[in-house]
Amino acid sequence: MSDAYLVGAGQSDFGAFPEESYRSLFRAAYEAAEGSAGGVDPGDVDEAYVGTLGVGGRQLGLPGPAVTEHVGLHGVPCTRVENACAASGYALRSAVMAVKSGMVDLTLAGGFEVMTDASSEATRYWLGVSGETEWERMAGTTFSGVYAQMADAYMREYGVERESLSRVAVKNHANGAKNPRAHLRFTCSLEDAESAPVVADPLTLYHCCPTTDGAAAVFVASEEVAASFDDRVRIAGVGAASDRVGLFQRDTYTSIPASKRAAAAAYEIAGVGPDDLDFAEVHDCFAIAELLAYEDLGFCGRGEAAALIDSGATDPDGRLPVNTSGGLKSKGHPIGATGAGQAVEAFKQLTGGAGDRQLSDPRRGLTHNVGGSGGAAVVHVFEAEGADPAGADGRGVGA
Amino acid sequence: MSAPGADGGSGAARTPRAGVAAAAAYAPRYRIDAEAIREAWGRFEASGIRSKAVGGADEDGLTMAAEAARRALSAAGVNAGEIRTLAFGTSTPPLAEEDPTPRLGEFLGAPATATRRFLAGSTRAGTQALSAAVDAGGFPAVVVAADCPRGAPDSPEGHAAGAGAAALVLTDDGPTKLRERAEYGVDYPGTRFREAGSEDVEGLGVTAYDRRAFAETVAGAVGGLEDPAAGALALQAPDGTLPYRAAKALGVDAGAVRDVATVHDLGDTGAASPLLSFVRALAGGRERTLVVGYGSGSGADALLFGGDPPAVDLALDGREDVSYAEYLRLRGEIGGGPPAGGGAAVSVPSWRRTREARYRLVAGRCPECGALAFPPEGACPNCHALSAFERVELPRGGTVETATTVSPGGAPPEFAQQGARGGEFAVAVVSFELGGETASVPMQVTDAEPGDVRAGDPVEAVVRRVYTQEGVTRYGSKVRPVR
Repeated sequence: MSDAYLVGAGQSDFGAFPEESYRSLFRAAYEAAEGSAGGVDPGDVDEAYVGTLGVGGRQLGLPGPAVTEHVGLHGVPCTRVENACAASGYALRSAVMAVKSGMVDLTLAGGFEVMTDASSEATRYWLGVSGETEWERMAGTTFSGVYAQMADAYMREYGVERESLSRVAVKNHANGAKNPRAHLRFTCSLEDAESAPVVADPLTLYHCCPTTDGAAAVFVASEEVAASFDDRVRIAGVGAASDRVGLFQRDTYTSIPASKRAAAAAYEIAGVGPDDLDFAEVHDCFAIAELLAYEDLGFCGRGEAAALIDSGATDPDGRLPVNTSGGLKSKGHPIGATGAGQAVEAFKQLTGGAGDRQLSDPRRGLTHNVGGSGGAAVVHVFEAEGADPAGADGRGVGA
Repeated sequence: MSAPGADGGSGAARTPRAGVAAAAAYAPRYRIDAEAIREAWGRFEASGIRSKAVGGADEDGLTMAAEAARRALSAAGVNAGEIRTLAFGTSTPPLAEEDPTPRLGEFLGAPATATRRFLAGSTRAGTQALSAAVDAGGFPAVVVAADCPRGAPDSPEGHAAGAGAAALVLTDDGPTKLRERAEYGVDYPGTRFREAGSEDVEGLGVTAYDRRAFAETVAGAVGGLEDPAAGALALQAPDGTLPYRAAKALGVDAGAVRDVATVHDLGDTGAASPLLSFVRALAGGRERTLVVGYGSGSGADALLFGGDPPAVDLALDGREDVSYAEYLRLRGEIGGGPPAGGGAAVSVPSWRRTREARYRLVAGRCPECGALAFPPEGACPNCHALSAFERVELPRGGTVETATTVSPGGAPPEFAQQGARGGEFAVAVVSFELGGETASVPMQVTDAEPGDVRAGDPVEAVVRRVYTQEGVTRYGSKVRPVR
């Protein structure tokens, strides 16, 4: 079985762009990915997977070919992948599986979403379509409500203060302020985050990601084809898992079991553990989600996430920098583009292209993408060429 | 007592055997003081009313009826599955056309084969429903009257308009027996009416004429009884003075009206008015009560009950005062229209498919491992076996597992109108225990300030309006704090 490699990755600017369309945003991402790959002949692309939820309903049917044909990938088979906010994380996984199957050598994986061009009521309608719609939504809950319920349960179970949630916002805004492609490119203080209007108690506005327009795309190649590209990032592991869509249907409200299962699978395939990572891009749609991710991905034990962020370990200069891109919180969350966008950050960090937020020679990173409140999760482990084998530095394999 | 008019008619009907086995009364928890209305308008035109009940943003006649009926059944110790007759009277049905009794029956769990009677069109509908249930003759019978009349905010009818519901469980051997009954009808146009398509009742305000219509019609019905003497007079009360005038004309002591009156605290409760007073009389242990319903047009029913008092559940307290602005919001006098951005994706047929779970918390018990599943379909949440669940009804009392408050800007658009009326609300995951197993249900919290509800708090499920789309209101269970 061939290994799969990222050989190019790019994203459009993330933000609010009334002058753009889903196609033009996808084109910007495609051209950025193609440019980072040093040029790709469309005729060499065998397959494409495009993630989008379809916010606004603009092209609910056939959105995949609508964008791949638009960028000149004429005739290339394209499949739309839908797993809510994990759509393009799963699109990437599909591309990896296609390459590893041996059926294709070069695939495009990407995603897009346009979220800022509808009335606030229409937007709230679309933000609720990935919750459990027959019961959870009919109780009057949207995502902010479900994550607030998780935050309420978590804070009570572990005696965590809201200030730890606010630290997620402060860190990710500081990171995003250095990302020229980020949606909310400004810093925020602890006081800003604490005193912002409450969206769903205990979550304030700064504990919630924005709605964003944007697109992202990556090229995934087989080992043989990857050899002809200058930059190669090995996809060392991928894992995914599903769970019941409604929070009320799960065993726990203080963990996302699908994340845990997805991470365990990815670590096992990659032969590494959380201690072998140099950075991670995690799904911080709400601040509580980043804290849960620390625990579900094994960065710390149960109930220790607040202490981990409070210690500065996940700052850019910490032991395990998390969300150097700004995360969903600051970089933005164009639903269908988010998973691929995380892979773009991993590619940039591992190929030295992360600009002002470049970490010092990272060798291995992880991306973590969640759909809804945890009905789907996908985790990828990426390695720079020549990364030390796992455990070679004596830190062990913690899978 | 004034003489019946030449164009009227009266007479004691044969009295079928029926007795009240249990009774219940319910009023929404919100109250507005007459003073608040006087302050807003510079006058208050519903004399004798000190305060009145105001329905919550998610309440209507049907939900209040369900609450009263459930309480009465519980007091009677009658299982809803035994109901043979269900009679419902209201002057404010949620829809101008559609029989609400199948839905009310589904809320309660009444058999599809039960005889149903629906009375509307005037405030006499409550006593008409009582009479209809007696005539139907299938026991146990549940009689419910619920009403939340409306009038223009600056009108006497609007000032008086309150809200409430009363329910009786009738059996052939209930301790409080129906002794005799009579009715009377005489043409009196223009005293109180509601035009087709309008939500507001109005009247011409011809005071002496209105009083005469009321007194004459009531006296006509009472005059049809052989022995109308009773210690309590549960008389229709459009305001706080008219029943006393009518009582005086009947030669009845004002105390007989006052002791069982609800109008002074709840306002004009329309079709529920005489039955609410009847339930109060029963709660007070009255041995003989004359129940008189009146509806404009005009017509009246007089029913005389006597005997030992039955079990009674009186839920007329628990008041929370609202300001005049809050009152207008709760009633939907001010606030937004339907959502612009489309609503939920749950179709009416798929909603109906889940009605037992939504109304009565019907869950599934896994035949493989015994775990509870809510809703009762799909694979078992515990052992993941895909088999047919045994259907079980969860208890109405549960415990909050986790809760949050959704700000008006954070709610789904189909809740925008409710938010405009009732403000922000809490949403919780509630755990219900049955046979040592628990089922978790996502539920909206009602009848509470959002911050009132915390994990660990006991709550009880009630049927309320969830949202209305394309003219069709979806009803379902919410929870309220157990106080």
